[in-house]
Amino acid sequence: MKKHIVLALAALAASGTVVSAIAATPAETVAARQANFKQLGRAMKAIGEELKKPAPDLGVIRASAQSLNQAAGHVGHGFPRGSGPESGVKTEALAAIWQRPADFQGATRNLVTKAGDLRAAATSGDLNRIRTAFPAVGGACKGCHDNFRERH
Amino acid sequence: MGKVRLWDAPVRLFHWSVVALFGALWWTGENGKIDLHKTIGLVMLGLVVFRVLWGFLGGSTARFGSFVKGPGAVLAYLRASREGKAPTIVGHNPLGGWSVLVLLGLLALQVGLGLIAQDSDAVASGPLNHFVSYDTGDAAGEAHEVVFNILLLFVALHVAAVLFYLFVKRDNLVHPMLSGHKAFTQAVEHPTFAPAWRLIFSVILAAAFAGWVALGAPFSLEQAKQAWQAPPPSADESYM
Repeated sequence: MKKHIVLALAALAASGTVVSAIAATPAETVAARQANFKQLGRAMKAIGEELKKPAPDLGVIRASAQSLNQAAGHVGHGFPRGSGPESGVKTEALAAIWQRPADFQGATRNLVTKAGDLRAAATSGDLNRIRTAFPAVGGACKGCHDNFRERH
Repeated sequence: MGKVRLWDAPVRLFHWSVVALFGALWWTGENGKIDLHKTIGLVMLGLVVFRVLWGFLGGSTARFGSFVKGPGAVLAYLRASREGKAPTIVGHNPLGGWSVLVLLGLLALQVGLGLIAQDSDAVASGPLNHFVSYDTGDAAGEAHEVVFNILLLFVALHVAAVLFYLFVKRDNLVHPMLSGHKAFTQAVEHPTFAPAWRLIFSVILAAAFAGWVALGAPFSLEQAKQAWQAPPPSADESYM
């Protein structure tokens, strides 16, 4: 299963929008994109915690911003047709993703931009820049979740 | 004989505050008002801590020691009730005592889970989330939903019991919880109540604890100052 997830994720990374051409089952696709979101979440948690400390560790912030940036780039490719709730796989992805693809892709591009800003800020080492860029990534997460993820 | 002062004001205020906050937490949780949910949750934390303190420092009817009885006593009470020979009890009966403990325990567990929980993107997270790993925070978030349903079940049971007393046993439990007084048809021992300084002490301690948790439970003055000056980025009206 783990191997399949890794393969599916590699497929996501390599193939751009034509993921569906690769023989990943909907379950594998969902598992891979969830693992990718968890990578995003872990990086967000790590950076948020550093920023709460009196002396944030720039090394941790840089590594996490790198990881976040990488995962952000995969989000837009993680939702091929047939991997929504209609597939029968347990997913919080809403049908709106496929009904309003332009909006959805816009939201994922916004995340890529904001994650890139955060990585640049982390590279610069300027804590004030990081403190501005970090909540902007959170806002990008929210922008998408408000419209395209099931509330629970 | 006649009217007896049964519940002190702190017990009654606690009870009805929990009712109001429970509803508010339910609504804010379901509607993704996460910042408000966290604030109200911290007030709930203060209330729960207060009630635990009051269970040791409060008046006789508020004290755990006066109403928490073993299973033998509960069974004996139920048997006597069925035969119509239950003694007149001023305060919680042995079964009601367990209802208090279970509801309070579930509330404490639910608040505790909320404190360490996080949403999967880790923007919305409880004030103690930094003490646990991402996976633990994730699991706590899921458990927070499960325990809420268990809590709802026990709240329903509690309300059903009160209605059973009202309509079947013709014993109105709601009125004493509002007014503090209850009429007894026979002579009973009057409860004793705690002096005001104990109330002040308990309120200050509970509020200070909730405030400390709200700041992320800092262990140094420097951490506390940091938390005070730079609150974590707001998740605003987020996305639960």
